[in-house]
Order: sequence, then structure tokens, then C-alpha cells
Amino acid sequence: MKYRLVSGLETHVELATATKIFCGCTTAFGGEPNTHCCPVCTGQPGALPVLNKKVVEYAIRAGLATHCTINTTTHLDRKNYCYPDLPKAYQISQFDKPLCEHGYVELESGKRIGITRIHIEEDAGKLVHESGYTFVDYNRGGVPLIEIVSEPDISSPEEAKEYVEKLQLIIRYIGVSDCKMQEGSMRCDVNISVMPEGAAQFGTRTEIKNMNSISYIEKAMAYEYSRQIEVIEGGGKIVQATLRYDERTGETSVMRTKEDAQDYRYFPEPDILTVVIPEEKVEEIRASLPELPTDKLHRYIDELHINPATAKLLYKYKRVCDFAEEAISLGAGVKNTVNLIVGTLYSKLVTEEDKEKFALPVSAEEMAKLVKLADGSKINITLAQKTLSAMAEEGKPVSHYIKEEDLQGVDEGQLESICRQAVEANPAAVADFKAGKEKAIFALYGFVKKATQGKADIKKADEIIKRLIK
Amino acid sequence: MSVTQKEIKTLARLSRLEFSDGEIEKFAPEFEEIIDFANTINAQVEGDTGSIREVVARTVKWEDLREDVVKESLPNEKITSNVQAENGYFPVRRVVK
Repeated sequence: MKYRLVSGLETHVELATATKIFCGCTTAFGGEPNTHCCPVCTGQPGALPVLNKKVVEYAIRAGLATHCTINTTTHLDRKNYCYPDLPKAYQISQFDKPLCEHGYVELESGKRIGITRIHIEEDAGKLVHESGYTFVDYNRGGVPLIEIVSEPDISSPEEAKEYVEKLQLIIRYIGVSDCKMQEGSMRCDVNISVMPEGAAQFGTRTEIKNMNSISYIEKAMAYEYSRQIEVIEGGGKIVQATLRYDERTGETSVMRTKEDAQDYRYFPEPDILTVVIPEEKVEEIRASLPELPTDKLHRYIDELHINPATAKLLYKYKRVCDFAEEAISLGAGVKNTVNLIVGTLYSKLVTEEDKEKFALPVSAEEMAKLVKLADGSKINITLAQKTLSAMAEEGKPVSHYIKEEDLQGVDEGQLESICRQAVEANPAAVADFKAGKEKAIFALYGFVKKATQGKADIKKADEIIKRLIK
Repeated sequence: MSVTQKEIKTLARLSRLEFSDGEIEKFAPEFEEIIDFANTINAQVEGDTGSIREVVARTVKWEDLREDVVKESLPNEKITSNVQAENGYFPVRRVVK
């Protein structure tokens, strides 16, 4: 029998605010243990939480960027559970009135993964398990989170991967979080069940907790899919349970079953009043959103006529895009600009993070100057690449590498006469070329390169030479 | 409102409490009494508890929310002053096996 995989994700994202959600302590990552703490975030009796405005703003930003509706009257709720990472023995979260609801993320295929809700809540502290004890550090306690809950619309590990990547990209674009899975600022819980093809009812689901890498999400889903089918085919029943994924064995194991399910006893948080968000504020945030990644990609392909493969290499990195767009607005040609970025600058930006940061000492103005020289065939593309490479390493302006006099020898008239000389000086190669030996033309390219000290545009020279010997 | 012995057993397990069957049997009518007492409030609002929230809910204005400006945290010695800290951490009994 064939089985369909049904999955929904709960994604926690740490917001890039300066302070925690309910107090003025810093959210900086790391630090000596228990030094980013105060009475509020360590749950001292009598301490009262005050909601951070920016948290609400960022959550609304995330909601609008994922096409959610915003509940302008919203409140927080207490979620009770007893564990040492939670000093108050409850987490302030949202239960029945999340800030954002009913959105979606669109995959490349056009399929939409529904967003059920996005709510705000506080992160818990960090536990370190060592020599028979557990040590608690509350620096992370109270760091603001949004939890993004998807509909069970995901039907393969590949879709899960794309969904998480898209979400990551959108959230980075809007500047709400850096979404670093390895540092824990983005983590996912994966709900998964299987059902026979054509069945009307979902199977019993399991939940894999705290996944901190996209490739593990894919692997864990694939493993859990096969495991559940095996259980069902073997005549067994899936037990609703919370699982953990072991990265070394690639297997899932049970943390707790439904029997032990917590009763969180949610109730409205009495220490924080209901928040009323003015409609104008929501509209102001909507107006401040940047062009979103998918829109940018489509514009690059449809309006700027960048080829899709190149456009896909660019659109993920907002700073790279800003740089390219600025150079283009200063008159640089689209094609040379993007090809030089992808061909030359990317060789210096090896990791995803490098591209993300885009910390090269080349300004958009200098880039535009260089590209315009290439656009006007004042320099050939090889020289443009070499120059850009040196600029990116040394941070010097175009004029440092390319002098006025360098540009003089290669205008079209000059190039024409050099090509003419090349043809006259190489009669044998010309004859060979005419006889069908295409490669013979390289001898003429060589002549042109030598005569122009490598500055000629060989594509242009090729056109001229072919015209001359026709 | 009837409370079953099964419900009491579930509640006991979640609360990490152990009771004999005799105790649980005795608890059932007592639980019912407690819940019935709480129900007198529900009866007063004719089942519409949602309206209570609307009446008592007060709101906070947007401009009264806290600005995102860092304030100094307390020093580690202060934060951990009620415990025997170890290297700045709160030590607790091991929570995972």
C-alpha cells in the first residue's frame, strides 16, 4: 500500500531585539552564566513583566511578510509547567488569541504551506548536564521568541526543507532574526503522521522535538515516515508521542507518550494587560516591509531579464541585492553587474554567512564605474574580473588599477585596425579558418591580445575579424 | 458534575501523587462538591464566562509598551545570592537520565 506523509512544523525564532521580552536585560548570545539577568527574568517574587514594544512590532512584521491577518487586540497567557529552565514555573506565551493568524508561505512549485498562527513568548534558560548535576543559566530566559505554526500541508522531507529555507529567508529579509539554526535562534518541532493514499482521516501523529538543522529535519522525517509505515504494516498502532532525534544513529526515540502529556493549565496572564494595537501602526509596519524574496526573484527574472540560474544565486542575500541594485541605478549594465558579482565577488564569499554579510570593501559607486567601462567595451571582461578581484581584496578605487591611458588603445576604431593587422599577419591561420578549422582563429585572438596588452574585448574582436575575412 | 475515579487517577499521575484505591474512592464525591461550588459562579453569568473577561479586561496602549532599550542587569553574585552557585550557575538535581 502507498502511504501519504502528512506533516506540519512548529518553528521557534528568536527575535533580534536588543532586550528581553519582559525586562531590559540584553539578549546578547552567550556571556558569562547568569549575568544577563534581573528579578523579572529569574522569576523573583513580586517582579512584574513589561512587554517590549519591539517584540510586538517584529512579530507583526513576520506576520505580514507571511500573509497573516493581525489580531489588533491580543493578550498573553500563562503556560504552566515545572522544569528548572523556567524559573517562574510558567512560560508567558499566547494561547487563544495569537498575534497573527491564517497566513502562508509559497513554495517554488506554487504550493502554499498554510501558517496557522504566529504567537509571541519567552525563551527558557539553558541547562548544562554535567557530572550528575544539572546547571542552569538564565541568560537566555526571557529572550523573545515567535512560534510559527504551520498547517499539516507538508507532504515530503523536500517540502519541509524548502518551507524552512523560505521562512528563514523571509525572516532574515525583514530583519526580524538572523535565524541561525546552529546557534539555536531558529529551531523546529516536526509533527508527522502517515495515511494510506486516498484515506479521509489523518493517522496518529508523533512530534520530533527541537531540530536544529535542516538536513536533520529531512533525515528525521524520512526515518519517521518509514518507521510509522513499518509499524502499521506489521499490524501495530502508532502511539501518539513526543520523540527526540539522535543525530548519530539517525533514529528517533520516545521522550514521552500522550499518557504523560502535560496539562499546561493555560489561563490569561494577569500581570500583562490586553494589548490594543492601532490599525495605523499595522499599516505603518506593512509600508516599511522591504520587497520580499519571492517578489524580488520574479522581478529579477521578468523585469531585469537576469537569467533564472543567476537570479537564484542573488536573491537570497539581501545585501548583495542592495549592492547590485545600487550599482545598476548608477548606470551599470544589469548583465555585467550580476555576472561580475556571481563570477568574481562570490569566489571571495565562500560561505552562506559571507554572502549574507557581504563585507567586501567595494562600494556600489566603484562597482558602477568598473561595470560601465566593461559595458562600453573600454576594457574587456577578463580585465574587469581581474580588477574587481583586486578591488575586493585591497579596497582601492577603480582608478588605482585602470588609468586613463589604459583605456585609450581599445576604442572601436583602434580595435578595427589591430584586427586588420592580425588578419594580414596570419595568412595561414586565416586560410585554415576559412577551410573550416574553427580553432585557427585563436592565433588571431592572440595577436589582438598582445597588441592591446590584454585590454581588448575579444568578443568584439571576434566579430570584427570574422567580418574582415568573410 | 460527576468526577470519575479515572479522572482522579490521571490527575494524581500528573501531580506525581500516589493514592490507594480507597482514597480515590473517597475523593470522587469530595471533588464533585468542590466543582459544584465553583459552578455557582458559572450559574450567576448563565454560562457565559467569556463576558466576564470583557468586563474586567483592561488594556494597555501601544505607546505605554516598553521601549527596547538595554538596562543594566544584576551582577551574578546578586542573582545567585539565594543559592550555592557553582561557577555562576544554579545547580539543580540532574533532570535527564
